[in-house]
Amino acid sequence: MLTVSNLSSGYGKLKVLYDLSIDVPEKELTVVVGPNGAGKTTLLCSIMNIANVFSGEILLQDSSIKGIPTHNLAQKGISYVPQMGNVFAELTVMDNLHMAGYMLSKSEAKDKAEQMTEIFPVLKKFIHRLAGTLSGGERRMLAIAMGLMKNPKLMLLDELSTDLAPIIAERVMMEVARMRDELGITILMVEQMAKRALEIGDTAYLLVSGEVKYSGDASALLHEPELCSMYLGIKHSSDKGKEFELSVMDEGSEDN
Amino acid sequence: MAPWLSSGLVYASGLALTAGSVTLLYIVTRTFNFAVASMATIGFYTVYTGVTLFGGLPYQYYPFAFIVGSITGFICYYGLNRPLLRRQAIETTLMMSTLGYDLILLSMIQMYADFLTHTYKIFPRRVTMSLFDFELFGDRAAAFILPVIAIGFLTILHIFLTKTKFGVAMRATIENPILAGASGINSDRVYLVSWIIGGGMAALGGSFMAMAMTGTPVMGMYTIPLMFAGAILGGLGSIYGGILGGLVIGLTEYAGVFLLSQQFGPWVLGYRMGIPLFIMAATLLVFPRGLSGIPLLKIIKNFAEQKRGARA
Ligand SMILES: Nc1ncnc2c1ncn2[C@@H]1O[C@H](COP(=O)(O)OP(=O)(O)O)[C@@H](O)[C@H]1O
Ligand SMILES: [Mg+2]
Repeated sequence: MLTVSNLSSGYGKLKVLYDLSIDVPEKELTVVVGPNGAGKTTLLCSIMNIANVFSGEILLQDSSIKGIPTHNLAQKGISYVPQMGNVFAELTVMDNLHMAGYMLSKSEAKDKAEQMTEIFPVLKKFIHRLAGTLSGGERRMLAIAMGLMKNPKLMLLDELSTDLAPIIAERVMMEVARMRDELGITILMVEQMAKRALEIGDTAYLLVSGEVKYSGDASALLHEPELCSMYLGIKHSSDKGKEFELSVMDEGSEDN
Repeated sequence: MAPWLSSGLVYASGLALTAGSVTLLYIVTRTFNFAVASMATIGFYTVYTGVTLFGGLPYQYYPFAFIVGSITGFICYYGLNRPLLRRQAIETTLMMSTLGYDLILLSMIQMYADFLTHTYKIFPRRVTMSLFDFELFGDRAAAFILPVIAIGFLTILHIFLTKTKFGVAMRATIENPILAGASGINSDRVYLVSWIIGGGMAALGGSFMAMAMTGTPVMGMYTIPLMFAGAILGGLGSIYGGILGGLVIGLTEYAGVFLLSQQFGPWVLGYRMGIPLFIMAATLLVFPRGLSGIPLLKIIKNFAEQKRGARA
């Protein structure tokens, strides 16, 4: 579905990603993990033409999308849920959904918004509230719903679970798995909750300092003790009977 | 109505629109538009041209003032602002470019004034527009009509921004351009429309202000500190804040001059512009984020929000 090859990109003249190649197969959940500042967000921004692409190629279903203005990528079926500021805090939930479906016709957008409030009942309850007044978990649900408004072929998700209570984060992860399994959406997901993401993901890339350190089966990465402890803060317990322990890496706070 | 109040209302309605224009363009394009000065003057000259060459009342030429102002905004966007925004110019560059544009517009205004003198033998360099006004309820009609037009304009703007798809998209772009872009909203169009509205508001504001002050080719230049004072007093965060700021600045100038000259004599008139600027500074010392940062407004907003939430 999406192929990124030999991508070098960054901001202004600053280079963040070096000669990076990844492949996102159709109807699969591809996970990108890695320490803070590795360039995970930059990868998604490069695909969306928000960051500066210096060289390399980005193909969506075998046609190049490099250099296409951000606002035209939504029409191509790509839906991007940013890490920060992924809802319009000063608009109502309803207006958020309608803006997310900006390129749909009026009746299409209305039907789709209706559908979203059925999938996420919490949105129906707060449909006329400003998104800024929602709780962290509710906002993340809204962000996902906004992503789905576009009838996407491909979703780019950036750290959806960060800063959520563990139980809510788990719900968000299940929601992501459900989008792949039930809606057949291709997903490229960046995650801080590495262990859980690698469990539900199909393919994984470990990104460190702008370069790919591991690529392959997602759950297999969990069996690479060195990579896991060095870059993901996942420590293998010495006791073989025990499950892996997860220690969350330091992470600066974001929008609440 | 007391004379200071009727003049003050006329003047403040105009200043409110220009301050709203400054705020709108700042929050959408990060550009402090110095050309608001000549855009306002152009609004006045459009109306002046109408009443002197074609007759009638100033009010019937306001739509033309808005349109001519919109055209100056349109040109500023395509000629200057857009190329600079695309090169990710810093705020200072954006601001200085509008100063250059203002000087170009000012020379064109001067040339136009000469043209009117030579061709029609009229003298457009010191104009008292209120002479073209009529009387209503024993007072100048402008004192009633202009606030009503200003409120009407604001109502339309508000409906546009909250009820139309493009208006909501403008607010979305103002708040979060990246998310708006990813949603399929073309920011280029949002910027263009805000320059069209901003240019129109500036020109309309200028044509209002000329009903209370002497219309000259430099009237915009003379009053631009107050237009910016209004925008800053409003907090530069919301268009409504800017409009309110302009209104407060305009009214305090007239009220202040009236009260102080009664106390201390007419020499106060020479310092009239200092009064609203002092009010602005004092307000900002107490409420650093301007009028829209005053908790009172927030309290009202929260209250309304809660009521709305409870109803939903
Ligand atoms: N808008 C930006 N301008 C300049 N540098 C940036 C910007 N965003 C991120 N960076 C830099 O790019 C690098 C990678 O950041 P990012 O892609 O956000 O990492 P991650 O998402 O993996 O935590 C960091 O060194 C960061 O400081
Ligand atoms: Mg990131």
